[in-house]
Amino acid sequence: MSKNLPVFQGRITIKVKGGSIESFMQTCVSEGCVLSQIKQLDDSTLLMTIRVQDWSTLKKYRKRHKCRIQFVSTEGLPFFYNAQKKKKSLWLAIVCSCLAVFLLANTLWSIKVEGLEPELEAAVKSQLDSYGIKPGSLSISMKQPREVQRLLLEDIPDLLWVGVKKQGTSYQLYGVKQTNYDEPEAPRPSNIVASKKGMITKMFISKGRPLVEVNDVVKKGKMLATGELKEDSGKYVEAVGEVLAETWYRVEIDQPEQIEQTLTDGSSSTVYSIAIGKVSIPVWGFWRKNDEEDREERYEQTFELFGWELPVRIGHNTKYKNEFLGQQPSKEQSVKEALKNGRNSLLVNLNEDAEILDEKILHQGVDRGKVKLILLFKVEENIAETKYVSQGD
Amino acid sequence: MSKWQNQLRNWVSQYFDLPADVMLDLPRITTIGSIHAYIENCTGLLHFSDHEIRISHRRGELSIKGKDLRIKMMLKEELLLEGQLLSIDFIDEPKGGGD
Repeated sequence: MSKNLPVFQGRITIKVKGGSIESFMQTCVSEGCVLSQIKQLDDSTLLMTIRVQDWSTLKKYRKRHKCRIQFVSTEGLPFFYNAQKKKKSLWLAIVCSCLAVFLLANTLWSIKVEGLEPELEAAVKSQLDSYGIKPGSLSISMKQPREVQRLLLEDIPDLLWVGVKKQGTSYQLYGVKQTNYDEPEAPRPSNIVASKKGMITKMFISKGRPLVEVNDVVKKGKMLATGELKEDSGKYVEAVGEVLAETWYRVEIDQPEQIEQTLTDGSSSTVYSIAIGKVSIPVWGFWRKNDEEDREERYEQTFELFGWELPVRIGHNTKYKNEFLGQQPSKEQSVKEALKNGRNSLLVNLNEDAEILDEKILHQGVDRGKVKLILLFKVEENIAETKYVSQGD
Repeated sequence: MSKWQNQLRNWVSQYFDLPADVMLDLPRITTIGSIHAYIENCTGLLHFSDHEIRISHRRGELSIKGKDLRIKMMLKEELLLEGQLLSIDFIDEPKGGGD
């Protein structure tokens, strides 16, 4: 049906000149042509409009009726389409520019975070980055601001509230930091107990009543300060304080006498491959085969186009020749090394504020190619541990 | 076309109340004021100029005179005429000359 709309049909306006135009027209019409807008120009010339599919019929009969046909103009979609076909580069440019405008308009250009400290701002930005929201990425595939807001609040606990607004090509965030109140409205009654055995060196109880003194040796679980300000009053506050104590640790360390090291001698061979998805096709250097024990490093280079990662990657597989080197350090050296290891492994297990005051080698021996050390460390650390009191309810 | 056939058709169209142009192969001319004329059942265009148009039908010819005549559309048996119409004349075909 739509094909018969006048817009979709091509029409030709022609001038017909000749002696017997009327009979020519009659013949054409009886062959099924449709003539329209017929107008007399002068005694022997008529102007008319025909459909494009009728043209062959007109051509067939014009000689017989001694008519001459002259084109005046064409109109309709088929002619327009044909004319546009010749202007391919123009259309290509139009499509390209539309695409470019579309891409640019849908690219995120800036992210503004307001109202947050630099640390939190960086955290927010890196979170946004992990959601795929960063300058230069396309905003079509991005989550809705509301969703982003929800995710941000979930993933960054320090945020009390964050407003996420997408304005054109920029993201605007306004955050409010969660302020952690030190004191809950109803203070929880608590005591301070020792978390470890040790000798108290320094004590500062900011809230509560201390029960021990400096230089006291306390066992684990001993109460150091109480939140009950008056004895037997039954009224508790939350005891807060710091109790630094000297604690002792025994550390046993095995250190092999011989140190084995693998070294590369610098000779390497690289195999290049093209990877698409999970399939990797070697391209260059795959004929080189090394039988020796090698260390292999794989590195994949990815390509990005307008923030999109292309599925094609180039892989470098580099094999390094290994050389084993056995080292026999001196006894002094290995003891020193073992001490260092011991210190480090102890500090890893302790709190950040712990400090090693002194270290002593209790025992030192060599057993089956290993240096065995038993060490004693003297450490100063905070042993205060808050223990809440249930007030019998 | 014999005479009794014509008479039969005439009688049928009257008896059954059928439109005369269907039964009798006559042209139907519809005019809208004096600006449009819609002619059906015509068999041929004999002459066209901007002041006169002559059309043949099965029983003769008709001539429409006017000013600035244009054919808006021309189909096999239909013609849509535009312009300022002045007169419509029926010219009967002399007997025996027909198709």
